[in-house]
Amino acid sequence: MIATSATPTTTAAVWRDPRSWPEAAATLWRRSLRFRTITITLLLTTLAIFITSVIMALVIQNNLFESRRDEVLSDALRAVAEAQIRVDSAEVTDDPSGLRALWSDVQDTIPRASSSSRVIAFPIDDTPVGSGVQGFRTDLSADLISPGLRERVVSFPDRQSWQSIAIPMPDGTTAPGIVVGQQLFLPGVGAFEVYIAYDLADSQETLQFVQSTLWAAGFVLIAIVAVISWLVLRLVSKPIIEASETSARLAAGDLDVRLPVHGEDELATLAQSFNAMADSIEAQIKELGELSLVQQRFVSDVSHELRTPLTTIRLAADMLNDQRDQFDATTGRTAELLYTQVQRFETLLSDLLEISRYDAGSVQLELEPTSLAELAEDVIEQMRPLAEERGSELRLVAPGAYSPVEMDPRRVRRVLRNLIGNAIEHGERHPIVVTVDSNQYAVAVGVRDFGLGMRPADAERVFDRFWRADPSRQRTIGGTGLGLSIALGDAQLHGGTLAVWSEFAVGTNFVLTIPRDPDQREGTSPVPLEPQDAIADVGPMTQPIQLTELREIYFDARAEDES
Amino acid sequence: MTSRILVVDDDTALAEMIGIVLRTEGFEPVFCADGATAVEEWRTLHPDLVLLDLMLPGMDGIEICTRIRAESGIPIIMLTARGDTADVVRGLEVGADDYMVKPFNPKELVARIRTRLRPVTPATSEVLRIGDLVVDVDAHEVRRGQTPIPLTPLEFQLLVALAAKPQQVFSREMLLEQVWGYHYKADTRLVNVHVQRLRAKVELDPDAPKIVMTVRGVGYRAGSVG
Repeated sequence: MIATSATPTTTAAVWRDPRSWPEAAATLWRRSLRFRTITITLLLTTLAIFITSVIMALVIQNNLFESRRDEVLSDALRAVAEAQIRVDSAEVTDDPSGLRALWSDVQDTIPRASSSSRVIAFPIDDTPVGSGVQGFRTDLSADLISPGLRERVVSFPDRQSWQSIAIPMPDGTTAPGIVVGQQLFLPGVGAFEVYIAYDLADSQETLQFVQSTLWAAGFVLIAIVAVISWLVLRLVSKPIIEASETSARLAAGDLDVRLPVHGEDELATLAQSFNAMADSIEAQIKELGELSLVQQRFVSDVSHELRTPLTTIRLAADMLNDQRDQFDATTGRTAELLYTQVQRFETLLSDLLEISRYDAGSVQLELEPTSLAELAEDVIEQMRPLAEERGSELRLVAPGAYSPVEMDPRRVRRVLRNLIGNAIEHGERHPIVVTVDSNQYAVAVGVRDFGLGMRPADAERVFDRFWRADPSRQRTIGGTGLGLSIALGDAQLHGGTLAVWSEFAVGTNFVLTIPRDPDQREGTSPVPLEPQDAIADVGPMTQPIQLTELREIYFDARAEDES
Repeated sequence: MTSRILVVDDDTALAEMIGIVLRTEGFEPVFCADGATAVEEWRTLHPDLVLLDLMLPGMDGIEICTRIRAESGIPIIMLTARGDTADVVRGLEVGADDYMVKPFNPKELVARIRTRLRPVTPATSEVLRIGDLVVDVDAHEVRRGQTPIPLTPLEFQLLVALAAKPQQVFSREMLLEQVWGYHYKADTRLVNVHVQRLRAKVELDPDAPKIVMTVRGVGYRAGSVG
C-alpha cells in the first residue's frame, strides 16, 4: 500500500528531474493501463510502418532504376543504330579524307541521337595506319569504363552491355549513372566499342522525393495512430476508471452510488451488472440493519419486561433481608439467600443484556477525556476493602497516563473492577500490582497477580462466555462468568486490546490497552504483557505508591520545566 | 408532616411494593397506573414528589413530565428500565430532576427521594448575587432587577450552590454531590442537562452565558457580579 502511493506533487518533481524519468516511466507502466497500451500500440505501429516504408522504398528504387535503364538502353541502341545507318549508307571509299568526314559525322550523330553527351569510342583492333580514324571521346573519361565491360562488349558484338557507374559532375561531386556499351562497325576500318554514359540524377531526385514522402507519411501515420489509440482508450478506460472509483466508494460504505448506464454495449453491461451487485449488497446490508434493529428492540423489550418484576422482587427481598432478625433462624436464612441470589440474578441479567447488546452491535461509547491513572486509583480505592478482606494488598504503579485520553470511563471502570476482582479471587493472598502507563500511541493498565495462574490451554479460553478455569473451584466473589467477555468487548469497542499472560503457579497478567486514536491501532502497548519480575522481586520493587503524592511530584516537575 | 408521593407506574405489583417501602419510611404514597390520567391525578392529589415510570400506557412518561413541568417545579424522579442514553437524556431535558434505573434497591430509592424533598441549602447570607441576578435564599426567589425568574427547586439549588461560592470552580462531581446528594461517581449528564435548563431560564443569551460560566475541562463557576 505504501509503495504505490504517489501524489501529484511528487509527479511534478519527477518531471523536473530527468534522472528519475526511467523510474517514473516504470511506475506509469505498472500503474496506468492507458500508458501501457499506448506505448505498446505505438511501438508496434512504428515497427510495422518502418518495415513497410523500407520495402516500398526498395521496390520503388528498383523500378525507377529498371525503367530508366531500359530507356537508356533503347536510347543508346537507337543512337548507335542511327550512326551505323549513316556509316552503312555512306559510300565506302578508301579516301581517307572522306572517311574522316564520315567518322566526324558519326561523332556528331551519336551524342545528338542519344540524349547524353558522354560518349567514348575505342577501336577494337588497331586501325589501319593512315586511315586517320581513331577512337574519340566527349565528356567521358576512359577510366570510368571497366575492363570487364569492355571485355563483354568486345566478346558480344551484337549485344548491348551496361554497368552502373559513378559519374563525376562538374561541381566535384559524383552522380549515379549507367554506361551502355555496344559495337559500331566502320567498313574498311574495323569495329569500334562505343560507350554512352547517362547520369541518373533525375531519377535519384525522384527517388529521394518519394522516400522522404514515404518517411513523412510514416511519421504522420504514427502520430495519427497515437491520437486514435489515445482517444479509443479514453473512451474505454473512462468507464473503467469510473467503475473502479465507484466500487471504491461502495467499498467505503457509500451504498447509494451507482454507475450510469449508456447504450447497450459491453460497458453498459458492466455498469448494469455492477449496479445489480450494488443493489444486492445494499439490500442485504439493509436487511442486516433491520435484523439488528429487531434484535435491539427485542433486547430492549426483554430488558424492560424483566426488569420491572425484578425490581419488585429486589425491593421485597431487600425489605425481608432488613427484617430477618425478627424471623426465626430458618426464615431469616431464607430471606438472606433470597436477597443474595436476587442480587446475583440481577448482575447476571444485566451482564447478559450487555452481551446481547454487543452481539447486536448496538453499543455506543460515551467518550470523555479521562485520566486513566486517576480512574485506576479510584477503582483501587473502591476495591481495597474487598482485597483486604481477602488478604491481598493492592498496589498501584503509575509512571504515566495522567493526561486525559478519550475513553468511556464507565466501561473502563467496569473492565478494571472486573480484572481486579478476578485478581483478588485468584491472587492467593499475594500482592496485586496494577500498572498504568502511556506512550505516544496508547494508554494501558495491567493487573498482575501472583496467584494460581493458568495453564496455556486455559488461558486461551479465558474470554469465552461462562468459562471457568477450574469448575470445581468455589465461586467466592460471585462473578457471572461473563465479566471477561464483556471486558474484551469494551476494549475492542475502544479500538483497543485486552490481552492475557498467565503461567501456572506463577500468576496472571491482564493488560488493557486503549489507543489514543481509535483508528490508529499501531504501536506497542505501554505496559508489557509478559511481566519481567518474579514474585521474589516484586516486594522491594513495587512499593505501593500513593497516586496523589506522585501527581504532586509530576506537576511540580512540570511546573519547574515550564518556569 | 408526611410527604405525599405520587407513584405513576402501570405495574401494580411494583407500585404496591414501592408503596410498602415508602410507607415503612414514613411517606404517604398515592398511585396512578394510567399515563392518560396521571396529570389529572397530580393536579387533584397535590403530591410533594412524583415517581414517574417512563413507559406507560396512555401517555408516556416524557409527555407527563413535560406537562407537569409546564405548571410546576415539583421534584420528579424518573424510573426507567433502560439506562441507555437516549431515554434518560430525553427525560432530563423535559425537566425530570433525577432518574433511577430498574432494578434499584429500597435504600437508594429512599435516599433519592429524601434528597429531593429536603434540599440541603448552604448556610449563607440570605441574599446572594450572581451576574446581574439577585438570589434571595430565604424567600426562594431569583430576580433580575424587579422581575422574578421562576425556577424549580433543583435549579434554584444549583444556582445557589454556584452563587454561594463565587470564587469556586465546581466540577460536575462536586455539583452531583452537593445538589443531587450522590456520594459516588454518578451520571454527569444530570449536571449538563440541568445547567442547560437553568441557563435557558436565567441567561439573557444562553449561547453566551454570563451567569453559569463553563470552565473548560473542569466544570462550572458563577459569573462575576455585574
